[in-house]
Parts: sequence; C-alpha cells; structure tokens
Amino acid sequence: MNGQQIQSKIISMEIDVLKAVRQRTLDQLTEGPFVKEARLFFLLLPFFNGEQWSDKMESSARTVAIVYAALHSHDRVREEMPISKEQQLTVLAGDFYSGIYYQLLAESKNIEMVQKLATAIIQVSEKKASFHEPALQQPEQVEETATVIETALLNAFYEENGFTHYKQLMEQSLLYIRYTEELEALKNGEFSHILRLFSETLIQSAFIESWLTDRLESLGNDIVVSINDCELDFELKNVLLHQIIPHRLSAEPLTREG
Amino acid sequence: MEKMKLKLLYSDLKPELESIEKELEQAVDSESLLLNDASLHLLQAGGKRIRPVFVLLAGKFGDYDIELLKRVAVPLELIHMASLVHDDVIDDSEIRRGRPTVKSEWNNSVAMYTGDFILARALERITEIESPRIHDILSKTLIEVCRGEIIQIEHKYRLDQSLRDYLRRIKRKTALLISSSCELGALVSGTDEKTAAHLRRFGYFIGMSFQIIDDILDFTASDQELGKPAGSDFIQGNITLPILYARQNPEIYQMLRDNLNLDISDEKRLEIVRTIRTSSAVDEAKRMSERYLEKALKELDYLPKGSAAKTMRKIAFFIGKRKF
Repeated sequence: MNGQQIQSKIISMEIDVLKAVRQRTLDQLTEGPFVKEARLFFLLLPFFNGEQWSDKMESSARTVAIVYAALHSHDRVREEMPISKEQQLTVLAGDFYSGIYYQLLAESKNIEMVQKLATAIIQVSEKKASFHEPALQQPEQVEETATVIETALLNAFYEENGFTHYKQLMEQSLLYIRYTEELEALKNGEFSHILRLFSETLIQSAFIESWLTDRLESLGNDIVVSINDCELDFELKNVLLHQIIPHRLSAEPLTREG
Repeated sequence: MEKMKLKLLYSDLKPELESIEKELEQAVDSESLLLNDASLHLLQAGGKRIRPVFVLLAGKFGDYDIELLKRVAVPLELIHMASLVHDDVIDDSEIRRGRPTVKSEWNNSVAMYTGDFILARALERITEIESPRIHDILSKTLIEVCRGEIIQIEHKYRLDQSLRDYLRRIKRKTALLISSSCELGALVSGTDEKTAAHLRRFGYFIGMSFQIIDDILDFTASDQELGKPAGSDFIQGNITLPILYARQNPEIYQMLRDNLNLDISDEKRLEIVRTIRTSSAVDEAKRMSERYLEKALKELDYLPKGSAAKTMRKIAFFIGKRKF
C-alpha cells in the first residue's frame, strides 16, 4: 500500500467519524470531532499491512477514533469565566461522542469492546488528572503518563483484535511524535501539562530540552528496530519512517530486505 | 428533611440501597487520588437515588434478583452523576446540593476528567450484562439525554420558545433516564413485554412531572432549601415552565426580557423570583405536573397489585407534593 492509498484511507476514516457523530448544532458551533492523524494511522496500521480486516474491525476502529475525539473535545474545555456557548457545547460534544461510541458498539453487539474502551478511558482520565495533582513525577513517570494518554485506546483495539504485535512500534512512535510536539512547544515558550510535569524535576528549560532530545534520539533508534522487527510491507516501512522520523531517513535507509 | 421523607417511602429497600451505595463508592475508587476525592465529593453530597430505586421497584414485577439489578442500578446512578459534574461546568455552577461543585472545588478540567471517569466506570459495569437489548436502550437513552442538553443550550435565553419545545427538552433531559431505569429494571428481571412497557411509560410520566416540579421549586423554594440560589434557571437562561406561563402577562414578560442574559444583582434576582412565585404561573405549572402524575398513576393500574406498585404510587404522590 503506497502513501497515497494510506492517506486516502485515513481521510475516509475521518469522514466516517464525522458522519457518525453528525449533529447540527455541534457541527455549527464547535470545532467538530478531531483525531490526530498519527493515531488514525496506527489504528489502521494492521489494515495497511494487509492483515485480515473485517467490517466489525472497521467499525470498532471507527469507535476508537470517536472516543479519541470525545476525549479531545473535553481537553479543549478551558477555565475562563464565564463559560462561552462554544465551550458549553464542547462539553456536550464530548459527551455526545461518548454516547455514539457506546451506541455503535451496542448495535454491532460488540460489548467486550465497550468494556475494553471504558477501561482505557479510565486509565487516560486518571493520567490526565495527574496534571492537577501535587505529587511529583519523575521523568520516567511522566513518560508513562504520556504513553497511556497517547496509546491506551489503541492498545484496547489491538488487544481486542489480536494485533498486539504492533503495540511496541505504535507506543514508541506515538511517544516520539508527542515528544517532538513537546519540544516544539518548549522552544516556542508555550505551556503544556507534560512540560509542566517535567519542570518539577528537571527544573530548567535547558534540562528539559536536553532530556527530550536524548529521549527522541533513543526512541528513534528503537523505532527503526521495531519497524524492522514487524513484518511490514516495504512501502509501509518507508511511509512510517517518513512520517515519524524523517530526519533519520538519510542516515539509515531501509533496503527491500529490511 | 424532604429527602428523608422520600427515603422513608422506600424504606423497604433500605438494605438494597445501602448495598448500592457501597457499590457506588467502590465504583469510583481510583488509583488517582484526585479523581477519587472528586468523585466521592459528588457521591457524598447525596441525592435522591431515584434511578436505582426505580430499577429495584421495577425489578419486583419479575424475578427479583438484587445482584442482577445492581448491575443496572449502579451504572444508571453513575451516568446521572457524570452528567451532573459536566452540567456544573456548562452552567458555571458553584454550588450543588449545598456543597461546592467539583468545578468550583477544583477546576473545569478536573470536572471534565471526573465526569469521563465516572461515565467510563458506568459503562465498564454495565458490560457485565450481556443482553444486547439492555445496551441498545441505554445507549440510545444516553444520546437522547445529550441531545436534550444540546437543545437546552440552543434554547437558552429564548423567551419566545414554545411549550412543546420545553416538553421535548425535559423529556430528553430527565424523563428518558428515569423511564429507562424502570424499563431496564423490568427487563433484567425477566418481566413480560407488556409489563416492561407500562413501567417504561410510568417512568417517563413520573420523570416529566419530576422535572416540572424541579423547575417550579427553582422559584418557590428558598436558597437554603435548594442548596443553590433560587432563580438559578432564569439566571442561567433556562426558560422553564413557570417562566413560559408567566411571560403571558405583558408586564412580567417585559421584566423578564429586560433582565435576561444580564449579570443581575441579588436583589433583582429575588424580585424576579418573587414575581414568578406570586403569579398564576406556578399553579399552572403545577397543573401540568399533575396531569403527568395522573398519567403515571394510570400506568400503575395496568400492573399487578403489590408492594412495589404501592411504593411507586406513594413516590408519585410525594413527587407531586414535594417542597424542595
């Protein structure tokens, strides 16, 4: 599967999510459902790699994307007072998307997936709550927090459908992308909860930058190994490298033999 | 006091409700101290637990199995709790049931995570039940409740909305979840379809009456009794039944219009509350609530006589007469 086909499938999934959660007022007055492209990519990775992909899996993948959209919507709720109409509807958009996730899975009688996703939502909520707790987190704990937030829902999907052999690659890659975003935010002087957690133990921006840079380097190496370990289609390997660690491509080109 | 009176009505269910209370506490147990605190804060503020009560009472019309019924009753109460935490963010509410709301004690983000956490716990629990029908009913109810809330925001500050708009909104916002509580209690207990349908309709009519009374009490009860400022609905732009009736008087209409969507003083708030309270709107709204109560009671006539029907009847009467 080439890059264009992959992109087209991701767009098609985005459209399916949009259709599934369509609601006139929410469409008009909120940002609408949003799911990071990288998360959609890893949700569809087994399909891209030619795994057996049933309608049930497609529908299950769609619900995972909807849950990501629900949680993202709630992340967008700010503290400003008084709360605006858009913010009020953003709260309800998240609740509405959660209802849709449950309904879609209930309709397809996939109750086990309802349970798996609910457990993953609990884990994600617990980790996000830690942003507001006074307890100090060591960098390794911050990493665990970020990993759960990025990957718990995807892991639920992989476990449900027997795709756990992609777990390591997915976790490393989404963490890599997250750290790249955090580094960017740090350089731009922007606030992020993850950076704030890091600052409690690493204190200075320079130390955080250095920690993130080192970690990105090491994660990059791990990703190359994981890509080679996974039995991925050649085109897919290249797409993955281009998307996740483009700056390393020239240094370590992949051959057709992997 | 009123809550105690209500609890006396279903004192037969005391051991079961205590057990449900314990399960609610267990359900919100979290490895996050913050989520644990916030959820317990909400749980300990109390509540009428009307949804679990209706699940249990409906269960008495079939093969009453408390363990099975708890699997429905606990998630339904959790769903209700999750919606309250998020509602307080939407309404910017500082106080609920006389205690600071989660968003006011912590912040909006914590309230969002708490609501997501509690809802997920509810779904995690309800999946212990395999019946697709149960999930079909509950998931549709959840969506309709959200639609009701979305419409409520759309209709905020719209003094020109119709009675039909109001009734459709409260149906989704309140009546459906109570209706589903009755229906799900019946279904998990294996009642026949006809009984489940009567119970569903009973819950729906009671839910409508309950919400109308709630909307009346916002004007007739005191700040202390309500555990929040009287007239909060109007201040938040929620146009409820007493307002819809009161606006028919041109003078009151003008006063409402002049003060809608404004940061009004406490004095002004109390003046508006007093005006509505002393108008005929309250009686008219009560009559509407009574009509729903009568319909609810009629549904009970179709059900087998027994202690459950008797308690449901008592609760219906209580709802019609409650003071706050």
